[in-house]
Amino acid sequence: MSIKSDLRSFLTLNGELFRFSLRFFRHGLNPPFEFSEFLKQCYVIGYKSLPLIGLTAFIMGLVLTMQLRPSMADYGVEAQLPAIVAIAVIREVGPVITALIFAGKIGSSIGAELGSMKVTEQIDAMEVSGTNPFKYLVATRVLACTLMLPVLVMLGDAVSLYGAYLGVNIHSNTSFILYWTQVFDNLVFGDVLPAFTKSFFFGFAVGIIGCYKGYNSSKGTEGVGRSANSAVVVSSVLIFVIDLLAVQVTDILGY
Amino acid sequence: MAKKIVNSVRLGVFVLSGLAFLILLLFMIGRNKSLFGSTYLLKAKFENVQGLIPGNNVRYSGIQAGTVKNIKIVNDTTIEVSMMIDTEMQDIIRKDAIASIGIDGIVGNKVINIVPGKEHAELAEEGDVIFSKKPIDTDAILQKLSSTNNDISEIVSGLKLTVQRINSSTALWELLNDETLPKEIRQSAVNLRLTTSRAGMMANDLHTIIADMKAGKGSVGILLKDTTFAYNLNEAVLKMNKVGSQADRLTNDIGTIVKGIQEDVSSGKGPANAFLKDSVMVKNLNSSIDNLRKGTDSFNQNMEALKSSFLLRGYFKRKEREKESEKPKE
Repeated sequence: MSIKSDLRSFLTLNGELFRFSLRFFRHGLNPPFEFSEFLKQCYVIGYKSLPLIGLTAFIMGLVLTMQLRPSMADYGVEAQLPAIVAIAVIREVGPVITALIFAGKIGSSIGAELGSMKVTEQIDAMEVSGTNPFKYLVATRVLACTLMLPVLVMLGDAVSLYGAYLGVNIHSNTSFILYWTQVFDNLVFGDVLPAFTKSFFFGFAVGIIGCYKGYNSSKGTEGVGRSANSAVVVSSVLIFVIDLLAVQVTDILGY
Repeated sequence: MAKKIVNSVRLGVFVLSGLAFLILLLFMIGRNKSLFGSTYLLKAKFENVQGLIPGNNVRYSGIQAGTVKNIKIVNDTTIEVSMMIDTEMQDIIRKDAIASIGIDGIVGNKVINIVPGKEHAELAEEGDVIFSKKPIDTDAILQKLSSTNNDISEIVSGLKLTVQRINSSTALWELLNDETLPKEIRQSAVNLRLTTSRAGMMANDLHTIIADMKAGKGSVGILLKDTTFAYNLNEAVLKMNKVGSQADRLTNDIGTIVKGIQEDVSSGKGPANAFLKDSVMVKNLNSSIDNLRKGTDSFNQNMEALKSSFLLRGYFKRKEREKESEKPKE
């Protein structure tokens, strides 16, 4: 019984999410655009997240390097440390960690913001006053998320590789130029482009889930908390699902 | 409003820096893959490319020169590899350059190494096929290594036995522990040095002797060089010749004497004839010899009598005893 209801609620969520996404593509990408609101959301979602993303990425690069060193030293290939860290960061760690942090920060804030607007009937009021709340609230946020996350991923990768450079230099003495030469020498387009592409999907997932959860928030202050919470949980899971699909696609394409 | 503009600028810087890193990344990768900048095409034919794939690096004398563009099977024994080479290498790579397939490090990617040829051929142009060298087959190396290992193990076991024997040999250890030995060896070396120096001196002396001889000094030198000596020798030989001819004459004289004797004998005259032919003389001689035998017989009898006389009997008996005692010893 409980499995059946769980399955039903899961399928309902999927269906509603799909319809919500269709609505975004139908309304959100057609003029008139709420351009200044979009820029404001970009600033809040992208720029304001940079310190947090930067810090976590830096720590991730440093820690990954230090954790990999003993194994690499066992095989006598310590010199390949920059290469392997670069590939790990660019292909997987950078996009996924950034997207998860992003989901935690932005997904929850969007869910809570839209949820509280829904609960306090601001969205209804907006509709009454003649503004399209979907365009103004949802489309701008989802677009901002979709476009800002790749930028954040790129900057996160850069900071992460810098952290890895410091990590490499804890035990050995590698010059800055040599480090970057080794990093670039071992990367191929097949490492960068799929990772960059999938980060758009991560951003879209975080944005659309946050907006959906907030937009469909149930009544009461409890509903706001729940929509914020479930926005983070669902978008985090979705990030991993998208990652799984992305790796299958890149594998088939031979990257 | 002012804050809004500041925020927009920040946002712009943020987005641009993110894109800048992406572009930097793509550019650096692209530069390594020779996607930017002009390139030209060179080809090489191999029997076996050993897992070379498009995108592998091409190096000229160890310097990054380009990448492998594609690999095409021409027929069952020939594989054609096309390489995109940086245009700046166009003034360097010649038609007789040799391409070979190697490995980047021990476990790295395959690379194509191009090394310059020996002769200064013309510069390679777009689409030229350069020479190739058969790659080193790692399987063959491993097989060889395995047989080498067996040999080494045999050698090592032999060596082990030898070392054991050496360890158990007391003579060798005595030899090694003997402290006088080095001294003696040193002494021997000193002697050897002395000997050699003497030999050197001897050789020098010999040399001077030979030089003297050449210069005509000393008896041998005189022998070899002195013309008066040679003249004397010649004279001596002449004299010897003369002596020889005199001897010849003497022989002739003897010959005539002998002839004379022969004639005497055949004619029955002269003393020689008497000696050889006279029968009376032979008779006389016979009777003389007969008398002599009789004389010695009686002497023998006298001697026997003497042996048995009591004065000398003791001596002869002792002599016989000694003879008897010597016989069984043999």
